[in-house]
Amino acid sequence: MKVKVKSWHAVAHWRWDTGAPEQDDPDGEGDVCGICRVPYEGCCPSCKMPGDDCPLIWGECTHVFHMHCLLKWIGTPASKQQCPMDRRTWVTAERKVGGAAPS
Amino acid sequence: MTSISARRLGKELTEIKAEGCPVGINLVKADDFATWWFTIEVMGESLYQGEKYTLQFRFDSNYPISSPAVQFVVGDGKVSPVHPHVYSNGHICASILGNEWSPVLSVIAVCVTIQSMLASCKKKERPTDNDRYIRFAPDNPKKTRFHYDDDTV
Repeated sequence: MKVKVKSWHAVAHWRWDTGAPEQDDPDGEGDVCGICRVPYEGCCPSCKMPGDDCPLIWGECTHVFHMHCLLKWIGTPASKQQCPMDRRTWVTAERKVGGAAPS
Repeated sequence: MTSISARRLGKELTEIKAEGCPVGINLVKADDFATWWFTIEVMGESLYQGEKYTLQFRFDSNYPISSPAVQFVVGDGKVSPVHPHVYSNGHICASILGNEWSPVLSVIAVCVTIQSMLASCKKKERPTDNDRYIRFAPDNPKKTRFHYDDDTV
């Protein structure tokens, strides 16, 4: 049997480069933001559109959150400016995609 | 627009219903996103063997950025466990409910912490300032400034 492709649709899918290996996703759900429990690729509860409008933020402690979630936490006195995961003082990391400095 | 607490609590509730609670912890009611009740039992050998207590969570619309108000239910046949960090009105002095709250914690994580706080208790007694505290205690335990001075019990 000979198959001839008459037309095709390209389907793409994106994810944030969190440094986690691509295959490391057993439940197929992706990693979630520890604060709102929504996948990184979704958006925080205050946003409607995922992506550049609801970006992630990386700490020097390597922990990752939706930027809006983390800023909401850091904005409260109770946070004492600490990372919710390890209670170290939050320092936003310079993002290096794929190990190279962003151009 | 749904509050951030409703979304997050909805997820926690779905997970509880799908996977169940850890041993000794049971969901009693979660009819809304304002107040949830759980029963807590300490499994295995402990001073609280065979006893069952009811733990109440109250959430505001900012949960999990703001901590839940957590206490034991007292009245209607329910009592608070006799423990050096638990007042007879049900209020609990535990750092994770106060200055060590983190938004990555969850309702179940709090239940487990309270359960192990009971499990590790060596002597059933009330906090030394119990009588003074309950006389002036606010309705909401979050309004109390507890001093967390003893990590051993």
